[in-house]
Amino acid sequence: MDLANEERKILELMDNLRADRYPLKEYRHIGKRGIRRIDGYEKASGKATYTMDVQLPGMLYMRFLTSPYPHAEIKSMDTRKAEALPGVRAILRYDDPELPSEADLGGHAPSSVPILPRVAHFEGEEVGAAVAADSEATAEEALRMITVEWEQRPFLLDGEEALRPDAPLANPEEYPTGNYFNQGMMDVHELGDVEKGFSEADVILEFKSRRRQHTWVGPERPCGVFKWNGEYPEVWVKQQRPQIAKRAVSSWFRKVPMNKITMHAPYQGASFGGWSQTPWNLGGHYCAAILAKRTGRPVKWIFTRREDFYGGQTDEGIYYFKVGAKKDGTITSVKVRAVMSNMIYCVFGVAKHLIENTKIPNVYGKTEAVMVNKGINVPTRCEQNPNTHSLTLVFDHVANALGLDPTDVALKNDGAHGHDMAWLDQRKEEMGFRVRDSLRECIEKGKVAIEWDKKWHAPGIPNGRMHGLGFTWTHEWEDSVGSSEIGIRIERDDGTATIFGMRCDVGVNAETAYCQIAADELGMRMEDVFYRPQLDAGFFAMTPDSSTNMSVNGFAVRNAARLLKRKILEAAVNPAGETPRGAYPAAFPEHKPEDLDIKDSVIYVKGDPSNRISLAEFVQPMGLEGPMCHTPEFEKGAPKSNFTVPLFAHSWQVQSGGYSDTRPRLCRQAHFMEVEVDTETGEVFVTKVVNANDVGKVISWESCEGQQYGGTYMGVSRGLFEEIVHDPVTGVMLNGNLLDYKIATMNDVGPIETLLVETGMGYGPYGVIGIGEDVATVVPALAGPAVHNAIGVWIDDFPITPAAVLKALGKA
Amino acid sequence: MSDITRSFVCPYCATKCGTFEELKSHVVEQHKAQRLPRPEDQIRLTINGQEYSIRVEPEWTLHHLIHQKLGLTGTKLFCDRGACSACTVILEGRPILSCMMLAIECDGKAIETVEGIESKRHPLIEAYVRNHAMQCGYCTPGFITTAKALLDREPDSTEEEIRDALGGNLCRCGTYPQHPKAVLEAAKELNESAERRGYGSGE
Repeated sequence: MDLANEERKILELMDNLRADRYPLKEYRHIGKRGIRRIDGYEKASGKATYTMDVQLPGMLYMRFLTSPYPHAEIKSMDTRKAEALPGVRAILRYDDPELPSEADLGGHAPSSVPILPRVAHFEGEEVGAAVAADSEATAEEALRMITVEWEQRPFLLDGEEALRPDAPLANPEEYPTGNYFNQGMMDVHELGDVEKGFSEADVILEFKSRRRQHTWVGPERPCGVFKWNGEYPEVWVKQQRPQIAKRAVSSWFRKVPMNKITMHAPYQGASFGGWSQTPWNLGGHYCAAILAKRTGRPVKWIFTRREDFYGGQTDEGIYYFKVGAKKDGTITSVKVRAVMSNMIYCVFGVAKHLIENTKIPNVYGKTEAVMVNKGINVPTRCEQNPNTHSLTLVFDHVANALGLDPTDVALKNDGAHGHDMAWLDQRKEEMGFRVRDSLRECIEKGKVAIEWDKKWHAPGIPNGRMHGLGFTWTHEWEDSVGSSEIGIRIERDDGTATIFGMRCDVGVNAETAYCQIAADELGMRMEDVFYRPQLDAGFFAMTPDSSTNMSVNGFAVRNAARLLKRKILEAAVNPAGETPRGAYPAAFPEHKPEDLDIKDSVIYVKGDPSNRISLAEFVQPMGLEGPMCHTPEFEKGAPKSNFTVPLFAHSWQVQSGGYSDTRPRLCRQAHFMEVEVDTETGEVFVTKVVNANDVGKVISWESCEGQQYGGTYMGVSRGLFEEIVHDPVTGVMLNGNLLDYKIATMNDVGPIETLLVETGMGYGPYGVIGIGEDVATVVPALAGPAVHNAIGVWIDDFPITPAAVLKALGKA
Repeated sequence: MSDITRSFVCPYCATKCGTFEELKSHVVEQHKAQRLPRPEDQIRLTINGQEYSIRVEPEWTLHHLIHQKLGLTGTKLFCDRGACSACTVILEGRPILSCMMLAIECDGKAIETVEGIESKRHPLIEAYVRNHAMQCGYCTPGFITTAKALLDREPDSTEEEIRDALGGNLCRCGTYPQHPKAVLEAAKELNESAERRGYGSGE
């Protein structure tokens, strides 16, 4: 167990295509309830600082001109009156000579987009001008004084209309050849031969579904602060991927070296991916940077609440299904074609879960992505919504058509890539996992909790308020190719441990979980470990994207902690140095590192636990001789103070994820929803939800449960309430505020029972797999089968509003 | 900040006084004036037990005053339209939406923000931490202030009353199920400590 051996084991587990071979023998903090979250007090007391809270001396406030039309270009613009308004300090115009035609403003890969466009492609788009003024109100007043001559263009709001050959172009600047823009660009996901599958089926179902646009609603509006400290920028970002923000800023103004950028990513009033994923998400920063330089003042740019509403989740579309199944529930073939609106990253598919998650031998999914004149749709809480939408509707329609219990249909078709469970079990074994039937475990637990056997019934039993029970399932997902760097240092003086890494906090309590891992790996007390976020010294960690926070960063923290522990134990048995005045003696001179261990922040001899020294005593107090030496012995006449070497370890994790189909999905999740439908008003009351998630191994119970009930609230909200409405005549968004766009309140969902299954079949450290995106993504479509079970009619049009229910009941 | 710390100038002779009270006695003694004319845009209010005298623009909301001018940034703005309760502060014992209240209407009023609740070591704060009643944390102070106002009014609130009181607070992360638990725990702690001190609920 020397250092080289630890490093070998770390490398062996990178690209984690197998089970964790080296878990801990004992967990003291990992998986324990009642661990105090390290951000809790700050957040509860209002002391947590968000970018919106940043105020700097002389700071200006910047707002954008927005387009009143869904598709229009600026012919001319007069800003003279606005410039003359007292309190206005600078106006940036689209025709400013300092503006490059485009720049890297974030996004998944380096990509160039216009910074302050002249042409608007949706109503409300930030175009033409940005005003920096002494107050937000003055900036807004100045915006109203700008006169613009617009040339309106024809516009489109509907995806299928955009496909018509005579349709106008929605965005001729970016997509000059047509609105349908992703042909041949990883737009088809396919397995087997669907026509052959249909010929083998006893029944064929064909149906159409629709998902209307819904959005993220980040509590903290998009904003940022840009300040020039002389030549070098200091930037505050509300950005889920701060390392990409830093890369983008570094590429501006003929390159700003990475080591000269000071960047802060404070706590974030989450946007669930959402705003952070839009290609223009650093547009405000670029404009603020120019005006900050011109005015010599820090500039904070801010969106209004309405401006945060433009754009949505990637599942807006119209889906066409053809499904073939045998009478026993075996699905033989699924064909999905979906016309998706404004889906910016359109490679994730609409039927991929049916491939990765089932033994269905024949699957064909085609994504036809088209541009329309609405805000763009980006991964929000996840990009898997189209896939979970398809899987839920396919399975529940099949079960219903055949009169079968949907939980049985799920179990009958569980598998992976067209193979059955026997095949998948063999893969589990090959990769070193214990073989468990994840879906069966989730379903069995969930059925008990929702009282399935007692309450599930044939669809549509009228009893005044109709009662319904719905079920859906899918695999876990933790998709991303991820990487992460982490440093851990033992502080001088008190021997506490500081983890250095990036902060991209969106509330999932990841930083506490990293501390739990470090505490258990180092043998330290929880209160002695702390996560210190920074973006200056490097240590860029994986972001919450794709639910990979925990598996990637968890591994990186563990790797660093294991190296550090080894270093501590070696330092404890070796003299710290030989100098002309003699050696600095070792704490345990008679022992080898293997003889020692650390527990409760105390180093001790395994064979004689009374021979012990706390980490604080080991590193010793800081003193007059500088940070690494202490004075008491010196003061008592000793020839010199004692000294221990600095204790620091740095490690990392690189792993290839599920996007590239490099590894089969092993863990499953199952969700159950009970509803009552008021046949007079059409309202759907969600009276109970049960979430059963196999997360492999729980690090923090409370945090996993938080993702379950939190995801359920968001999922119910998306499934039943949320829709962005545009006026078909003017193309103007009609409900860009929280009075007219309803999100779920505390009292909109009945009791939520959260069940966590720990099969250990996750690819992360100790067998974990991510959970952050799962529930909010799977639950929206679950409202469909639940309502169907209540009223006996499919409403495959989401959100399922009271009006839609009444229509389905023949009452409207 | 000049609004808050400016000296008090006599409107008759321009003598500078250190405090408002000094100015008042100066005016009464030197100029035999009965009342000091106060600028119309000057309000006096108490926030977290501290007195403020400040000139405000007529369109400033109470949130703008608290967050932007006084630097009490715990009071967050989410919906900006009276729909989410994130900006809740306690005004004369009642939870109100500071984005919907003009600062100038608060003349003479007493206000409590989350900072005041924290400085008193109110058990709600630790109960929220214990129960993970936050994720991103942006809306959390609004829940704390709403719950504090409820417990001040009704220390023995039932879970249903708590759900009722917090029903208007939006949390996009969906932390909702934890809030009634946290508030009940805080209420229990408050009531127990009141009993220990011999201050029963009076029943």
